[in-house]
Order: sequence, then structure tokens, then C-alpha cells
Amino acid sequence: MKILQAARAKVHCAALVAAGIFGAASPVLAHHSFTMFDMTKRLTLVGTITSFEWTNPHAYIEIDVPDDKGAVKHWSIELGSPSILMQSGWKFNSIKAGDKLTLIVNPMKSGQAGGFLSTATLPDGRVLSNGPRQEPPPAPTQK
Amino acid sequence: MPAMKWKLLWCAALLPMVAAIIDPQMLHAQSASPPDFTGVWGIYRGGPGSDPKFAPPAPSPLVLKPEYDKPYQAKRAEQSAAAQRGEQLDNSSARCIPYGVPTMMSIAIYPVEFIQTPKQVTIISEAFSEVRRVYLDRPQAKIDDVAPGYYGRSVGHFEGDTLVVDTVGIKPAVSGYRGIPHSPQMRVTERIRMVSPDILHDQITIEDPVVLEKPMTYTVAFKRMAGDYEMVEFVCDNNREYVDEKGVVRLKLHDK
Repeated sequence: MKILQAARAKVHCAALVAAGIFGAASPVLAHHSFTMFDMTKRLTLVGTITSFEWTNPHAYIEIDVPDDKGAVKHWSIELGSPSILMQSGWKFNSIKAGDKLTLIVNPMKSGQAGGFLSTATLPDGRVLSNGPRQEPPPAPTQK
Repeated sequence: MPAMKWKLLWCAALLPMVAAIIDPQMLHAQSASPPDFTGVWGIYRGGPGSDPKFAPPAPSPLVLKPEYDKPYQAKRAEQSAAAQRGEQLDNSSARCIPYGVPTMMSIAIYPVEFIQTPKQVTIISEAFSEVRRVYLDRPQAKIDDVAPGYYGRSVGHFEGDTLVVDTVGIKPAVSGYRGIPHSPQMRVTERIRMVSPDILHDQITIEDPVVLEKPMTYTVAFKRMAGDYEMVEFVCDNNREYVDEKGVVRLKLHDK
């Protein structure tokens, strides 16, 4: 708990213009859309990892985020798959429980304590993204 | 100048022209061995900084028969309306069900691995670790004799530098290209060739006399992965997405 209180976490939302950040290219998901996440908003979470799941179809960061008064809120953050993450420098042991991280996430539209990772600042200062961007495939015309 | 010398000069001048009109594929067809596609190939969609001549050409129009087009369009409208509400409707991939043929050839940016031997080409997609086998120079079975599945039965042969693959036996429940429905009569024909030493094109034509007014064709382009890329395993053992009673995809959140 000492570690959590020392994290001095900040949580704040910033509305961003979708077209500017998520234009032609999109982050990569293999098996569901981004619909449940608000890709126009970004939230900064500073806290302590409780677990890092290097799994398919997605990896997850579980993180405890204390507010300015020390009250802790737990968040589940979805990442791409290990394959996608490796293409942007992640390894299965890049982070571990107990590490303090700064995450920028796209929060869930439902308002629940969950989100989709945009970037993570690791304890050693490296900033890793949630996989490379993906160009949309060409679409056929209808009739 | 003697007449014989003039004839020789004319012949020499014509040689490059003759060479130019000879189809390079024909030349390759005469060579003893087909190209080897063995290796790991990443999805190549072109975009900024890429060479447009290697990007996949635009797909052909998608024309469904009216009785299939109406429910297809209705389903798309329903999906779009749900997306506006911030919801994704139930779909097989959210349940971690594999994509099958032909969709597995192009999943996000996941690479595919070709392993080619004289009798078989094996294609492995990193996403969901899907595997398909193309048996070379064997006759295709009748559609009704192939057990319906995700990968059906694929046979192939080389036409010059192009591997032509014929696949039948994809069961209708398998999610189709862009979600289009298909019948047991669907036939998938692929023409796979290297358009440069490091760019591979898979031209995919879907024929379905029951669902489609006419065949539709799209192309997936690949670029050879740099270095000795090692395929990453993909076992879907931590799927936190689930489908609720209203048919909406939800995400399980943990509380610690």
C-alpha cells in the first residue's frame, strides 16, 4: 500500500480530435472492433501494475491507480496480441507486477474502469506503443 | 554493303522487339522449377512511402443476388447502428473462432508463413495459428464429397510463376470476406505469384452461384518479413470478450 500511496497518481481526461490522431491508420485488433472504446478520448493513468498477462487474443495490464487522496481504483487495460506488441518492441517480460507505469489509454465508452492502451511509459523511461498502425484495406464497391 | 549484311542487321534490330513481346510468364513456364514461396510474409497494404505498383489493386464490385443482398445490407445497417451506440454485435471472431479460407489470408497485420515442398504448400497464419494445406498436382474432389470445414480442400498447380489454388468445402457458418454470406457451393480460386523478389500477391476470386450475381475478386499483398522472422504462437486462451444476452460483445474487467 505504501507503494500505491507513493505513486501520487493523476487521472485526467483529455478530449482529442479523432481525425487528427486516428486518421487513415488504426491500431490493430484481430478479433473485435474498437467500438467499446472511445477512441476520441485519452486518459492518463499513473499507478502500479498488479499483473501483466502476455496472452491471446490480447495482452492485459491490470493496474491500481490511486487518486490524489490515496483512494485506489483498479483498471483493466487491453493491449494488442503478443505478436502485434512484439512489432513495437514489447517482450513478455517488459513489465511485471509492482512496476510503476504511466499509461495513456482510450477509455471505455461505458464509463467502466477499462480501456485500450495507446502508449505505456516503462520504469526505464522507454515509451512503447500498442503495436504499429494499420492501413485500412481497400473496400469493394457495392454494385 | 552486301545484301547478306543488311539482313543480319535487320535481324539484330528485331531481336529486342521480339524479346519485348514475349510474355515473361511464358518464359518462366518453360523453366524447370516453379518459384519457391517459402518464407514469412507480412501484410502489405501500401500507404505512405510505399511503391504503388506493389500495393494490392482495388477489389472488384461486390454484387449479391437480391435475396441475399437485402438481409446482408440490413445486417450491415444493424452493425453500423450498434457501433453508433458504442456497441459491437456478436461475431465469430469475438468468440475466438478461426477465420478460415479465404479470410485468414488477411488478418490485420499478422504475417503468414509459406512452407513449400514438391507435393504441398502449407500456409500458416500467425493470427489464431490457422493452417491450410494446398496439395499440388492432385485432382480436386467434387464439392459434395468434401466435408464442410474452415479450410475445405485445396489443390494447386503452377502455371508458370503463378500458383493456382482451388478450394472447395468451406461451410456456410465460416465468416466470409467482409461478412458476406456464402453457400456450400462457394469456390475460391487463388492466383499467387511474386511480383518482385520480396512482394507476393494473392489474387482471390470467390465464386458462389447461389449467393453472388457474379464472382468477386480481391487481392492480398504481402511483403517478405525482414530478417529470420520467427512466427509467434497464438492460442486464444484468455478471451475476455463475451456476448451478452442482447447479442452485444462485452469486455470482462477484473477488480484486482
